[in-house]
Amino acid sequence: MIANPYIGQQIVDTFISGDNAIQNLTDKRGLLIALCLAMIGFTLLRTGLAYVTTMQYERASQNMLYDVRIYLYNKIQGQDMHYYDHNRTGDLMTKMTGDLDMVRHSLSWIIKTIIESLTIFLVAVIYFFSIDVQLTLWLLILSPAIFVVAFLFAKKVRPMYVDLRERLSQLNTTTQENIAGNRVVKAFAREDYEVEKFTEKNINYSQANKKAALVWLDYFPYLETFAQAFGVTLLFVGGLFVMNGRITFGEFAAFSSLVWAISNPMRNIGIIINDFQRFFASLSKIIEIYYAKPDIVNEHKLTENRRYEGRIQFDHVSFKYDGVQVLHDVSFTINPGETIAIMGSTGSGKTTLINLIPRFYDVSEGSVRVDGKDVRKLELDELRGNIGIATQDVLLFSDTIDGNIAFGNPDLSEEDTVHNARLAAAHDFILKMPDGYDTIVGERGVGLSGGQKQRIALARALAVHRPILILDDTTSAVDLETEEHIQNSLRELDYSCTKIIIAQRVSTTAQADRILILDNGRLVEEGSHKELLAKRGYYYDVFMLQNEGIGRQVTGNGTE
Amino acid sequence: MARNKFDIDENLESPFDIRHFGRAMVYIKKQKKPMIIAFLLSALSAAIALSAPLIMQHVVDVTIPSKAVGALFGWSALMLATIVVSVYLATIRSRIMTRVGQDIIFDIRTDLFKHLQELPFKYYDDRPQGKILIRVVNYVNSVSDVLSNGIINFILEMLNLVFIAAFMFAVDVKLSFVILAGLPVFLGIMLLIKNKQRRAWQAVSNKSSNLNAYLQESISGIRVTQIFSREQHNEGIFTRLATNFRTEWMRALRYNALIPFSVDNLATIVSALLYLVGLLALSPQDITFGVILAMSSYAFRFWQPILNLSNLYNSFINAVAYLERIFETLDEPVTVSDVPDAKELPPVQGRVTFDNVTFGYDPGINVLENLNFDIKPGESIALVGPTGAGKTTVVNLISRFYNLTGGKILIDDQDISQVTLKSLRGQMGIMLQDSFIFSGTILDNIRYGRLDATEEEIIAAAKTVCADEFIQEFENGYLTEVNERGSKLSQGQRQLISFARTLLADPKILILDEATSSIDAKTERLLQQGLNELLKGRTSFIIAHRLSTVRNCDRIMYVSDKGIAESGSHDELMAKRGLYYRLYSAQKMEVV
Repeated sequence: MIANPYIGQQIVDTFISGDNAIQNLTDKRGLLIALCLAMIGFTLLRTGLAYVTTMQYERASQNMLYDVRIYLYNKIQGQDMHYYDHNRTGDLMTKMTGDLDMVRHSLSWIIKTIIESLTIFLVAVIYFFSIDVQLTLWLLILSPAIFVVAFLFAKKVRPMYVDLRERLSQLNTTTQENIAGNRVVKAFAREDYEVEKFTEKNINYSQANKKAALVWLDYFPYLETFAQAFGVTLLFVGGLFVMNGRITFGEFAAFSSLVWAISNPMRNIGIIINDFQRFFASLSKIIEIYYAKPDIVNEHKLTENRRYEGRIQFDHVSFKYDGVQVLHDVSFTINPGETIAIMGSTGSGKTTLINLIPRFYDVSEGSVRVDGKDVRKLELDELRGNIGIATQDVLLFSDTIDGNIAFGNPDLSEEDTVHNARLAAAHDFILKMPDGYDTIVGERGVGLSGGQKQRIALARALAVHRPILILDDTTSAVDLETEEHIQNSLRELDYSCTKIIIAQRVSTTAQADRILILDNGRLVEEGSHKELLAKRGYYYDVFMLQNEGIGRQVTGNGTE
Repeated sequence: MARNKFDIDENLESPFDIRHFGRAMVYIKKQKKPMIIAFLLSALSAAIALSAPLIMQHVVDVTIPSKAVGALFGWSALMLATIVVSVYLATIRSRIMTRVGQDIIFDIRTDLFKHLQELPFKYYDDRPQGKILIRVVNYVNSVSDVLSNGIINFILEMLNLVFIAAFMFAVDVKLSFVILAGLPVFLGIMLLIKNKQRRAWQAVSNKSSNLNAYLQESISGIRVTQIFSREQHNEGIFTRLATNFRTEWMRALRYNALIPFSVDNLATIVSALLYLVGLLALSPQDITFGVILAMSSYAFRFWQPILNLSNLYNSFINAVAYLERIFETLDEPVTVSDVPDAKELPPVQGRVTFDNVTFGYDPGINVLENLNFDIKPGESIALVGPTGAGKTTVVNLISRFYNLTGGKILIDDQDISQVTLKSLRGQMGIMLQDSFIFSGTILDNIRYGRLDATEEEIIAAAKTVCADEFIQEFENGYLTEVNERGSKLSQGQRQLISFARTLLADPKILILDEATSSIDAKTERLLQQGLNELLKGRTSFIIAHRLSTVRNCDRIMYVSDKGIAESGSHDELMAKRGLYYRLYSAQKMEVV
């Protein structure tokens, strides 16, 4: 940065304003060309260096962003269900996008600026001290004032940035839910209401943005004036010193040409502090994820995947969630290879019950044992690796049908995919789709009917060949003919497996070895179809309700 | 366009188009007045700031040698005053521009969101949610500064450039051309990398969109991921996406950094040329040393605004990558919308007529063909049939979620394509297969059906659908906070809540699509008793697989083979021993 002005100076001195300028011009053409080339050379070097440094800073900050992003992603993936019950998607998205980017920006920009400013400032101050101590001290007299203003500003603006990112998060959440729930919005013709809701968040966010920026602008004039006032101080004090002969003109010129090296870093303090506050507001949110410890930790320390036999025991299990007692003292045993059906009224705890097996939640009292071992003592990957579940709330991914079926086993061969689709009675309708197995289904399986989604989810669960298979009301939206096909497939699986099937239809449960009836979190009936019918309890009532009109009669030993 | 997924880039084949800024002008124009004021303030502030070096020069040249302490004090005070004034003006400009920038993106965001509300199901079905979300929030944020300060600074720098050029030419024309000679070279370089730079930024926006989409899906599908222990596999995918993003970002940055690099070097080359040409090529008669000195200082002053402009250019080209996505969304055609002279649908009696209705989601593949039926006000209709036969399609057409391929649907003899969507859907109660729950309280979720409903009405609706009991069991009752995918509510409970929401709307036509599939038989029975009372006087369409649900309906229509295969009451169809009979005989148990 200093080389080029120096060379320019040389050119001017030697060839333009010097005494022998004209003489030199004819004699030393070579020198002139050399100096010009040197000037270009130095610039190339300087800009080249600047280019490399810029890219290095960028690379470093991108690498940091990359590492943190992946770390956080894994952190989020490792959170338990309780965490997801209490965190909105839009909020998590804000942390992973806006907040993360703010941290990246701050780290790359702030660090670069601090290093540059500090270096320049120190070099300039040392240089100034070497010329004249007193004048330097006079110049620095303004610095404390800048620090005080910057400190006051920092205190004032911090809560505003906390507020700002909170509103960004709300904007994100509102938008995200509007997109996810777009069908409901349309069904109720609630577009205007949604726009109103959105506008409110949009205004809030916009205002918070303005507010924070205006606070900055409240302090900015002071900081900027102070920074520029270095020049005035120099002019006045320096001028006086020159007048009384304390320093020379040359020294005054040296100060004057480098006074920016003090005032610029001082000016940057405000900007740095401003960014720092944003940085902290975002950082604290990211740190929340960083240190969030799930109660149920998956350590992924699996060395070998043991295959379980599939024995499941519930031993006096109680479960409480958010202060509500969901399960009361439930005990039962399922033997390997058995098929168990679970039935019960809405909210009776069926899904909760099966959620305890793969440890989506931990019991409050009692224990759940798989193959005789408490699930809390088992390696989580191994445990979950032995369980196949088709959930009630069918979650498909925006991927091909093929990719969705192979979700649990990405190496699944094409034949196996088709085979499992056949088992789940999905093959036929998949072939009818525009691109067959390569048809991309939307997120959550939009574009497929409820029954179709369920069958793909079933194929997905079957494809992993797990010794424990849990079907949570997987055929509720499937017509009865198709269901029968699925029932047959399940009976004839080519691997041994314990099946737990939650169902509302008697036609589904009748096939099971045993049926468990849950009522309000309690196990109230247990037995085979026949036994339960004979009992004339809950199951019998449901059976009667569902068979009215078909003309079916219940006899003492079962049906018809 | 084929359906998009998280790892497919959304291609957009458009060259760098200044028209994107032209379109943005619509938003900028609204802020014309404050922007002009801000511009004038900036110019004034810059002009005042220019006086500081002049004062400095005067003090050094005149005041100090003459040792006039009083004058020194005066000049210092004056300099301080100019600083205070110029900073003050600059601050006012920044205040104005902060508002302008925020207001511009507020407007863009609002328009984007409003437009999204009008887009059909298909738009949402065809792409991951994360890709839509990132446009509304992140992309719009990215263009704020460019569209406000960027434009003002651009004009200021251009003016600056013109002024300096004018001064330059006034001093010496020949040497001015030497200085300008660097300009075509610079433009050449820009032109050379323009397309690459633009592609690079497009790629960045694509990759960040992909990353976002996958992130969002990972969050909403977390249960399935954990069930299948697929965390490590997902990490691999996410890492790949993050790597792609980083690669493209670095590529784009390389081009960006190239621009100041070349400006800086060109400026130096031009200065060197200036010395060479001035001293060697031109004879001393043509040119004085003073002129060379002046011109060499102009050379630097001329290239400084170019450097600033090129930095602005960088941010413009970056912003275009986002702007074009925003405008692409705004240009997305609204396929289902009110016809120009759409009427309000008068209060509905409930007659629904399908007149030769043909429909297909994709051209050439019809789901329904020449469907005809006529439903009397107050009739309850059950739609049954194999999955995927088109039952949901039939009810979706009544609410005009899609436009017909052929034929007409009439409600009370009014063609539904000729009435406003709001008046049509506002009189229908539609309960969809997936029961979306918004984050908020249960009360708010039910109230969504009718925004002005009182608490009593909400509780009454909940009681009708047998939801009151379980809601009361929560610690906070109706004020319990629920969210999109939390497990506080079971699937059946979600259905009951959205059922209550639908009933609250007090619709004349009620559509229940698998409304009770996850609800147990006993609750359903109770629900039905309440419903029977409620359904009186309303036309209803019920899709269900459970016999207990459909058997009480006035008419049952068996949908298959692109049309209605059988139609009649339960008893009639059972007696017919046809498809319906077969379907329900599957319920026959094989256990002896």
